[in-house]
Amino acid sequence: MMYLDKSIKEINKLLIDKKIKPIDLVEEAFTRIENNKELNAYITLNKEEALKQAKELESLEVDNPLFGIPIAIKDNIITKNLLTTCASHILDNFIPIYDATVIEKIKKKRMIIIGKTNMDEFGMGSSSRTSYFKAPKNPWNKEKITGGSSGGSAATIAANCVPLALGTDTGGSIRQPSSYCGIVGMKPTYGRVSRYGLVAFASSLDQIGPMTKHVYENALLLNAIVGKDEKDLTSTTKEDEDFTRLIGEDIKGMKIAIPNYFMSDIVEENIKEKIKEVVELLKEKGAIIDYIDIKYIENAVTLYQIIAMGEASSNLARFDGIRYGYSKENPKDIMDLYYGTRQEGFGEEVKRRIMIGSYLLSGENATKYYNKALSIRDDMKKEFTMFFEKYDLIIGPTTTTTAYNLTDPMDDPLKSFMDDILVIPVNMAGLPGLNIPVGFTSDSMPIGMQIIGNAFEEAQIYKLASFIENKLNLDLNPGGAKNA
Amino acid sequence: MPNYIPTIGIEVHVELKTKTKIFSNSTNGYGKMANSLTNVIDLGYPGTLPTLNKEVINLAIKAATVLNCKIRRKMHFDRKNYFYPDNPKNYQITQARTPIGYDGYIEIEINGTKKKIAIEEMHIEEDTCKSTHRGTKTLLDFNRAGVPLIEIVTKPCISSSEEAKLYLEKLKELLFYCDISDCKMEEGSMRADANVSIRKKETDPFGTKCEIKNIGSISNVGISLEKEIIRQQKLLEQGETFKEQTRRYDDKIGDTVLMRIKETGNDYRYFPEPDIPYLYITEEMITQVKKSIPMLPDERRQVYLSKGVTTINTNKLIQNRPLSEFFNTLLDENINFKIASNLLLGDISAYLNKTEKDITDTTLTKNRFIELVNNMDKKILTSKNLKDILDKVLEEEKSIAEIIKSSGIENITDDNALREIIKNIIENNQETVTDYKNGHDRAIKFFMGQVMKETKGGANPNLAMEILQEELKNR
Repeated sequence: MMYLDKSIKEINKLLIDKKIKPIDLVEEAFTRIENNKELNAYITLNKEEALKQAKELESLEVDNPLFGIPIAIKDNIITKNLLTTCASHILDNFIPIYDATVIEKIKKKRMIIIGKTNMDEFGMGSSSRTSYFKAPKNPWNKEKITGGSSGGSAATIAANCVPLALGTDTGGSIRQPSSYCGIVGMKPTYGRVSRYGLVAFASSLDQIGPMTKHVYENALLLNAIVGKDEKDLTSTTKEDEDFTRLIGEDIKGMKIAIPNYFMSDIVEENIKEKIKEVVELLKEKGAIIDYIDIKYIENAVTLYQIIAMGEASSNLARFDGIRYGYSKENPKDIMDLYYGTRQEGFGEEVKRRIMIGSYLLSGENATKYYNKALSIRDDMKKEFTMFFEKYDLIIGPTTTTTAYNLTDPMDDPLKSFMDDILVIPVNMAGLPGLNIPVGFTSDSMPIGMQIIGNAFEEAQIYKLASFIENKLNLDLNPGGAKNA
Repeated sequence: MPNYIPTIGIEVHVELKTKTKIFSNSTNGYGKMANSLTNVIDLGYPGTLPTLNKEVINLAIKAATVLNCKIRRKMHFDRKNYFYPDNPKNYQITQARTPIGYDGYIEIEINGTKKKIAIEEMHIEEDTCKSTHRGTKTLLDFNRAGVPLIEIVTKPCISSSEEAKLYLEKLKELLFYCDISDCKMEEGSMRADANVSIRKKETDPFGTKCEIKNIGSISNVGISLEKEIIRQQKLLEQGETFKEQTRRYDDKIGDTVLMRIKETGNDYRYFPEPDIPYLYITEEMITQVKKSIPMLPDERRQVYLSKGVTTINTNKLIQNRPLSEFFNTLLDENINFKIASNLLLGDISAYLNKTEKDITDTTLTKNRFIELVNNMDKKILTSKNLKDILDKVLEEEKSIAEIIKSSGIENITDDNALREIIKNIIENNQETVTDYKNGHDRAIKFFMGQVMKETKGGANPNLAMEILQEELKNR
């Protein structure tokens, strides 16, 4: 049983030819997850239901390339009858009564949900260490963080336990852990994927996206989850398209920009070296590369903190112990219920962000900070749009460092935002961005490159990413994963 | 006690008469089993998002139009953040910065003088759920959570409790008339809060204001304002000051009572709702909505009076929207509108009430009604005749002429038949003929009485009188 090391195309053929059954894939996935238990990639496994579904699929025709493929879902995406905790004590008993729109789509394509992955509590963090269920570990080195917040999804993909996973990205939470774990992770254009059923962190930034080992599978999974949703007014009206359609095309003549800021001394030298190597390769193959200065990107983190924490303080107000989730027992009165539930239910980082967010929206601050941040964000968006009139894509490193030690101190709240300094501008501008592994440090930790496209130009991103993937042909099987 | 001048501002919440809630497709209904009209969105479940009911926008445009408001073309919603058990998301989606309507007015008439009550703004928001306190427990019914509301805020320009009442009556009449809201204060589909302060001279700065919350009826708005004004006057006369506060009207003691002192810096941390994109109101949307606005009560009043309808009937018609609508279809006709209004509000109303029918459920068409009115006007039909044939008029489709004929009424209105009856009566009452000739008034009354008796009240009185006088003259 080594089916999960094969490509989706190969697996699909085996299923069509009836050489394997979906249950073979599901059983292998659970074996691998069990063998890699110490990665702590999952909060909840959906074993019984997944096996049952796999059995049911045996009588059905294999009608699409993702049929019967095991998929892992980040635990802030609502799954009917399957515990959805957001990695928080406040929801650790929450079994939803409905499915997120993306989950409906996944079920329609008959993918099999294997489990719910570990993450930073409510997506708030960049190392998945704010999880109430303890941090997941990086398959490349179990002493290291996976990154976050979609750390569990990144780890389980990196360790080849499942071929597909969903993550969510508010300020880099798909791309940054993808970079740290050496996988492909796409944050689509804001509005591409319905947010209905994604437990909101920062509504104007949140976006669900695919996390996979390879580019082609990533585009396939994106095909399956996009589309206008009546239930999400911010979802796009764009027609569905095939995101794999440009994969394999020549990149000659492609115009690519690199922001100087992305190659400044905020980035570790070894990462910049690796990016430069890729840039040389691209030039060699006929791409046109320019260095540019994008206004406001160095302010992106500040803007992000204001907008994300402001929105979060309001989005998380609903967890009050009245209708669902953790509830303080025998409260004296309503205030005791509120205070008790939220003090005990939320972790430190979440409480910190709620408090800062509340402050930022208080009285005059709303105008001084939140509204001003929104208006600068618009300017930043315009700035990006302007560059995309001249360039097809913007590239740079995904992160300033590679994955650091799990034991590194967590007492500097700003540090976690600095981990995301290169990924956050993309959320602020609502653009699509992808991480593609481009190499390793001397101690074998993955280095990622970020490819940013104009709004709704995900297909262009996949074109370049697939080209790089092919040319580099890296061995992305981490030594730490146990898959024999 | 010297006279103080009150300054009053009124905030009214009305629930809109939509099929579904504002941000979800749950049914908008009243009086159903607790929590039966709810879904995950109304309950504020994690991951849910609001959608926007277009019907709400249309009704809000309609309200803004009849309240003479300017209509904002680009707007957004805002989150009003506060913790309360009746507030499922612990934020309410409202319009704090871009209310859909602004700078409007309602015209009232006070002691024969017209006055415009200025409306500062009107905005759209969602209702909270309903909490019922039982001992130490609170029960929550989320059926009301997410019911669409509009809040209408006047400028502080109302100067008496009387004006306040007239304003509310007028507002209610307008919103009810345009099918915007049921406006049932007893069911909470219309709720009023009043702010009042007093000062000695127009030139003085405004006094400290007190808010009276959730007053249950229009008459109680009047009473509570009067009581509150007196309370404030007494305090000021005693040289006392007081803080801004929220009070409520207690029906049992007939006075306002303190709920809480207003704390400064009540901070709702408003910010634009990120889940709902900007909303654009087009000229076309406004034109469409305007087409659905019926003739408003004031205009009806003017038209009906000009057609000779009595004041009493005019008001009754306006209060009965279906009859008023029926009446309006006749306005271009040349008929006796006084009779028409009497008919509609008298026998026809009685029939409709008795049978629990709407006028549109009967067979009465515009043309048949005109025929009926004209027959009455020409005295071919008496009100007694009408009572006899009314069921047929409202339940059968035959023309009025045919009904009259088949009911035997026609014979009696026929000149010759009536003349024969009258001749006979005269023959048999020679003594009374003598009395008549001698100038006794009651003689003619006696004859008329006999005619009616013979015809079982079916004779056209004018005609009978005419024939009777002719025949008597010939004796």
